[in-house]
Amino acid sequence: MEPARPQLAVGNGAEVFSAPRVTSVVQRVVAFALLATIPSIALAERSSAPSGAARLDPYQLAARIDVLLAASWQREEITPAPPADPAEFLRRVHLDVVGRIPSVAEVRAFLADESADDEAHRHELVDRLLRRGAFAANFANVWRDLLTAGAPDAAAAQMGTPQLETWLRLRFTENVPYDQLVRDLLTTPIARPDDTAQATPVGPSPLAFYAASQNKPEQLAASASRIFLGVQVQCAQCHDHPFTDWKQQDFWSLAAFFQNLQSDTAVAAAPTIAVPDLNTTVSARFLGQREPTFEPGETARDALARWITSRDNPYFARAAANRVWHQFFGRGLVEPVDDLDPSNPPSHPEVFELLAEQFAAHDYDVKYLVRAITATRAYQLSSRSARVAHAPPHGDASDDAENGSSGDTNADAEVRSFARMPIRRMTGDQMFDSFVQATALHEDEMPISQLLFGENSARDDFRRKFADESLPSTQAATSILQSLSMMDGRLTADATAFDASETLVAVANAPFLDTADRVETLFLAALSRPPSSDELDEFCQYVDGGGPQQDAGAALADVFWALLNSAEFVVNH
Amino acid sequence: MARYNRFADGIFDGALSRRDLLRLSAAGVLGGCWSGWLAPLASQAATDSRRRGSCILLWMNGGPSQMDTFDLKPGNPNGGLFKEIATSVPGIRISEHLPQLARLMDHVAIIRSMSTKEGDHARATRFVRTGYRPVGPVEYPTFGSLVAKELGRDDAELPNFVSIAPYRAIAPSAFAPGFLGPQYAPLIVGETAPTNNAGNNDGDDNAKSGDDGLQVADLAPPAAVTTATSQARVKLLDSLNTRFSAGRHQRPVAGHVTAYQQAVRLMRSGAAGAFKLDDEPAALRDAYGRNRFGQSCLLARRLVERGVPFVEVTLGGITSNGLGWDTHADNFDGVRQLSEVLDPAWSTLMTDLKSRGLLYSTLIVWMGEFGRTPKINDNAGRDHYPQAWSTVLAGGGIKGGQVIGRTSADGSEVEDRAVSVPDLLATVCTALGIDPMKQNDSNIGRPIRIVDPKAQPIREILSKVT
Repeated sequence: MEPARPQLAVGNGAEVFSAPRVTSVVQRVVAFALLATIPSIALAERSSAPSGAARLDPYQLAARIDVLLAASWQREEITPAPPADPAEFLRRVHLDVVGRIPSVAEVRAFLADESADDEAHRHELVDRLLRRGAFAANFANVWRDLLTAGAPDAAAAQMGTPQLETWLRLRFTENVPYDQLVRDLLTTPIARPDDTAQATPVGPSPLAFYAASQNKPEQLAASASRIFLGVQVQCAQCHDHPFTDWKQQDFWSLAAFFQNLQSDTAVAAAPTIAVPDLNTTVSARFLGQREPTFEPGETARDALARWITSRDNPYFARAAANRVWHQFFGRGLVEPVDDLDPSNPPSHPEVFELLAEQFAAHDYDVKYLVRAITATRAYQLSSRSARVAHAPPHGDASDDAENGSSGDTNADAEVRSFARMPIRRMTGDQMFDSFVQATALHEDEMPISQLLFGENSARDDFRRKFADESLPSTQAATSILQSLSMMDGRLTADATAFDASETLVAVANAPFLDTADRVETLFLAALSRPPSSDELDEFCQYVDGGGPQQDAGAALADVFWALLNSAEFVVNH
Repeated sequence: MARYNRFADGIFDGALSRRDLLRLSAAGVLGGCWSGWLAPLASQAATDSRRRGSCILLWMNGGPSQMDTFDLKPGNPNGGLFKEIATSVPGIRISEHLPQLARLMDHVAIIRSMSTKEGDHARATRFVRTGYRPVGPVEYPTFGSLVAKELGRDDAELPNFVSIAPYRAIAPSAFAPGFLGPQYAPLIVGETAPTNNAGNNDGDDNAKSGDDGLQVADLAPPAAVTTATSQARVKLLDSLNTRFSAGRHQRPVAGHVTAYQQAVRLMRSGAAGAFKLDDEPAALRDAYGRNRFGQSCLLARRLVERGVPFVEVTLGGITSNGLGWDTHADNFDGVRQLSEVLDPAWSTLMTDLKSRGLLYSTLIVWMGEFGRTPKINDNAGRDHYPQAWSTVLAGGGIKGGQVIGRTSADGSEVEDRAVSVPDLLATVCTALGIDPMKQNDSNIGRPIRIVDPKAQPIREILSKVT
C-alpha cells in the first residue's frame, strides 16, 4: 500500500505531481493513518472539482468551513470562545483587511448601528474595506515582507523594496488574480548587469525579490519553492533532504530554471546548471518530474512560472490559501505556514482542501478568500477563552510570561483548532498606520530621491524599530528598546503634546463635550472602544483633578499617552 | 506588578545627578592615569558580596577559520598564508595576527577539538547558541537567556542580558529567550551602529567617539515632560494594562507589559549611565580600538562591572555587520582584518577586567557557529567545516594556559578529545556556578534541561576554585 500523499489534482488531473514519499517507517505509518481519517465527503468533492461545477460563493464557503470546524470542536471536546464583541470585531477586521484601526467616526457609526451583529451588515463592511486603497497597501506590505524576508542579503533587497511595494500595490488595486501576479513576478525582465539605465528602476518593479536572493539560481529556487509552493527544498542544496526524498539533484534541477536571468530568448531544450561539490551538471526539471515541456517562445522562467501556477500543481493553490488564512487567523491550517510537506499535514484537512479548491475555482481571486474567511463564525470569535476560570491570579510578570509561552496547553488546543482567536502583535506597518490614524499625525511626503535611498521618513524609522519579524505575530513580544521608543520617542511626544497633537487639540477644545465625552473620544481614537464604567470613573477623576500639572488639557494628554502605550493598542485581539 | 509598585517615587532627575555623585565621591580626580582613577570603583565592584560572576560571549558570526586563528598547520599543504607565533605559554602557538592575545595565553584555554555536524548557518547558529538542534515547535532559549535566568537578579536595574551589535537576520530565534519568556529577552544595543569610526575630532559629534549607536535611545522622556508627569502617566498605563491582561496571558500581551516595566526601571535608575562611554579615558578607548567591536567590548566591561551576568558582543564584519567570518573567498585577507580588530579589543578587555579585579569572576567565551575547511578552495577561501574547529575560553572559572584536544596534521579531523556543543556549554555553566542539568518549563509541556543531559563538562579546563 503506497502511503504517498494523496494525488491532489485540481483540474483534469492530467499532469499530477506526487510529493516524494516520506522515508521513515514511522512517517509512513503516520501518513497512512492521516490518509485514512480524511472523511469521504472531501474525496467526493475533489472528484467533482472542475471549476464551475462546485463553486461556492464566499458566504457559502464560510458556512461550510464553520460546519467542518464545529464538527472538529465537538470531536475534540473543545468549547469555542464566545463571539467577539462588535468593537473587537470592527478593530480586528480593519487591521486584517486595511492594516489600520478604524477612525472614531467609523467606530461610533458601527457601534451605534443596531444591526452591527447582523451578518449582511458585516459582509457589507468587509466589501467597503476591500474597495479602499488601504486594502491594496496593506496586502502590498504583507507580500513585500514575504517576498524579501529571510533574505541572506537584506541590504540589497532593501534598495528595491519601495518599488516592490508599489508594484504589488498596483496589482492588488486592480485585483489581479494571484496566479497572474506570481507569473508576472517570476517572468519579470531583468536587466543585464552592465545595463545601468535599468539597474535600479524608479518605477514599480519586483526586482527586490531577485535581489533578496542575490540573483542566485539556487536561492531563487529555494525562495520560489518555499513561498509559492510551500515546498522546502533548500536543505537539499547541499545534501539529500533529511526527511523527504528530495535529492540534491532535484534541487539543482529546479535552480537551473533561474540560470541566465537576463535572457529573454526562447529555449528549446532544458537549460543546464553546474552543481557545486558534485562536479556534474544537471538539466532543468520541474520538481518530481522527468522532462519539462517548453511551449513555443517560452523562456525558462516562463515555463517555470507556468508549471508553478498550473491548475494541476497541487501545491500552488494550497500554499496560497494557507497563507491568506494565516494572515487572518495568526495561524495556518498547515504550520509552519510555508511547509506543506507530507510529514506536516493540515490540522483540518477538509477545510484546507475546500479552501484551496474554491480559491482555484474562483480564479485565484484574493478578495474572494478575504470575504469568505472574514465571514466565518470562527474568524469572529473572541480572543478570550471560554474557560476564563483557568486564568491564574494576576501576579508578577514572571507568572504572565510563563503562562503566556508554555503551560496552558488547553489554551493552545483552542487556538490550534481555531476555536479562539489568538492575540497577535501588530506589524510595524500596522502600528505606524494605526498610530497615525489615532493621533491624526501628518505623514511627510516622501521625495523620489528618498525613495531610492530609503530610510528617512518617520514610517521607515518606525518600521525599522518595530520590525522584529523574526518571530510569528502570536509570539512576538515588545522589546525594551521599543518600549522606550514608544514612551519617550519623538513621534509619541508630538502626538501627546497637548498643544501640538490634532486629535488632542480637537478633544480638549471641543466646546460641547464634558470630561466623560472627552475621555470616551480618546478611548475610541486609540482603542476603538468606549471605556468601561470603571475606566471612565478612574480616568475622569484623573482629568478633572488636572494631574500633576493641574491642567485638564495636560491631564487629557496623559490619558492619551497611556492609551497609546498600552498593551491593548499594540495587539490585534 | 508588585515589583513595579516597589519603585520609589523618588526625586530622580535623570542619570546626570547620579553620575555627578560618583564624580564627587571620587574626589574630583579626572583624567590622568585611568587605572588610578577607577581604583575605588574597582575594589567596590570586586568585593560586592552580591556579585555572582558574569559571562561575556564574543560571538564570531559566519564561522571563523580555526586554521588561521588558533589551530594553525604550518608546513602542511592546508596551512595557508599565516605564520604561527609563540605565546606566553611554551608549546602553545597561535596566529601571528593575534599578538596581544598571545601575551595573555596564561589566562586562555583553547579547545581545538570541537566537532559537530551542522554546516548550515541558520541551523548551526541555533544549535551552538541554544545547545540543542532546532526541532519542531520547541522554542529553545539562547544561552544568554538561560544564564540571565540563573545568575540575574529580578530587581536589577540593568537587564540581565545585553546583546551588543548582533546580526540576527540569519537565525533570529537564536537571539531570543524562547520558552523562558520575554523577561529574559536581551536588551539589544547597537544593532544598526556603524562599524568603523576613524575617531576623528572634527567637531562632528557622530564621528567623534566611535560609539554612536551603542547608546540606548530614548532613555529619557522629552524635556517638556516632568518627572511627576512621567510617573503619573506610567500609573495610568499600569491601570490599563492590568485590566487588559486579566484573562489574556499570551506572549504579545505579557511581553509588552514586561518590556515596559523593564524599560521604566532602566529609565529611572542611574544604571543606564553604563552606556556613557564618554566617561572613559581616551587612551583606554584607543586601546580597545576605535571601531564598533572595540567600543562594544568596552561597553561589555562596563556592564559586567555593574553586575550584568551575560553580555554578548558580535563581530560580524569590518565595514558592515553580517557573516563577516564566512570567508568563502579571500579568506586570508578577511581573517587578517578581523583579527586586527579582534586582538586589541579582546586583549584590552582582559587586561581591563584584570586591573579591576574582575577577571577572576568573568568568563569570556569566543566562538562562532562552525569552523572552516582545511582545504583551501579556488577563491583562496575556506568553506564551512563543522567536523573539526576551535573555541576559546578565558578568564574566570577556568585554568588558562592549556590546549584541549588535537586535530590531525592536515586539520581534517579530531584526533583526540572530541568536544560537542553541549559539552562546551556544560563546561561554561559549571565554570559560572550554574548546574547544567537544571530544568526549565518549556513550551511543549515537558521540562527541558539547561544543557542536553548527555553533555560532559570538560573537567580539565575548570579551575579548582569555582
